[in-house]
Amino acid sequence: MQNETGLFNAFIGHLFPRMVRRENLRITYTFCLGGLAFTTFMVLIASGLLLLFYYQPSSEHAFESILFLESSVPGGLFVRSIHRLASNAFLLLIFLHTLRVILTGAYRKPRELNWVVGFFILCLSLFEAYTGYLLPMDQLALWATQTGMELIKTLPAGEAVVKILAPDGVGQPISLLRFYVLHAVIIPVAVLLLSFLHFYRIRQNKEVLPYL
Amino acid sequence: MEKPHKGRRKLIKTLVLGMVSLPVLGKFLIPRTQPKKGIFRVKKTDIPGNGALIFGEKKIAVIQDGRNVYALNLTCTHLGCTVNTTPKGFACPCHGSVFTPRGDVVKGPADRSLKQLSVEEQGNDILIMTTT
Repeated sequence: MQNETGLFNAFIGHLFPRMVRRENLRITYTFCLGGLAFTTFMVLIASGLLLLFYYQPSSEHAFESILFLESSVPGGLFVRSIHRLASNAFLLLIFLHTLRVILTGAYRKPRELNWVVGFFILCLSLFEAYTGYLLPMDQLALWATQTGMELIKTLPAGEAVVKILAPDGVGQPISLLRFYVLHAVIIPVAVLLLSFLHFYRIRQNKEVLPYL
Repeated sequence: MEKPHKGRRKLIKTLVLGMVSLPVLGKFLIPRTQPKKGIFRVKKTDIPGNGALIFGEKKIAVIQDGRNVYALNLTCTHLGCTVNTTPKGFACPCHGSVFTPRGDVVKGPADRSLKQLSVEEQGNDILIMTTT
């Protein structure tokens, strides 16, 4: 039986391929959609980290801090635009990747677990996009988040979810802080960990390619 | 034979831990909020005749229609945006719902009238119950 460190090393070892089959590199095989999605995710992390140096998660100063970033910070507008564009590309690529997995039947045995992990990543990514939408605190942000909350309320246990996400109302200090923490720390870390599990499973299943 | 046994214990442990910690976490995440003051006071003379007095932050419209005074909650019944006041009534900027000055739906997607708030006269003031 493997001990804990052995398991950890095996996990790290499986994140990167030891060898790759030439025929698996064919672009039409997967269109590399998952890989492209992860690349945009890394772009999002890099640009997001830069935005953290200027963004102020308070109801009063959030919008001002965005204006300051765009007007007075060299490259500020560029970094913010990259973050915004990459977020759109990220969701688009994840959806296309999911579609490819469905159409090629790659969710089938023995890859069921990876399908479930991927589905969680998809849901978390949508939630990540939703929490990021409020942060600029402009009119669009506020009302889009408000309507999103009303939609969540229609779900089972939705009232409780809304109470946890926005105990003092959308755009108020506590709710903005919670969206900020979820957007900048909790969800990205969860997505990253699940992505590693996702890649680990790909290596584990490498010999079984149901759709070739 | 040992493995499934261990798995079962682990499952029970996880379930018990989850059942204990999740409600505690939930309690921690939902702060006690002071109930908002349920009564809002407006001077009668402040309300224009056959017109409306709008309190955007509080999402309240106090409307005088002849001798009648009534109050509406300006939260759109579709998805919760605050409706704008127009010469013909109210219009929601988010998805285009239109309401009459009495709060009834003229055009969707909203399918319910704006909420009426109960109003009480007290001397020269009008009291509006903002909590229902």
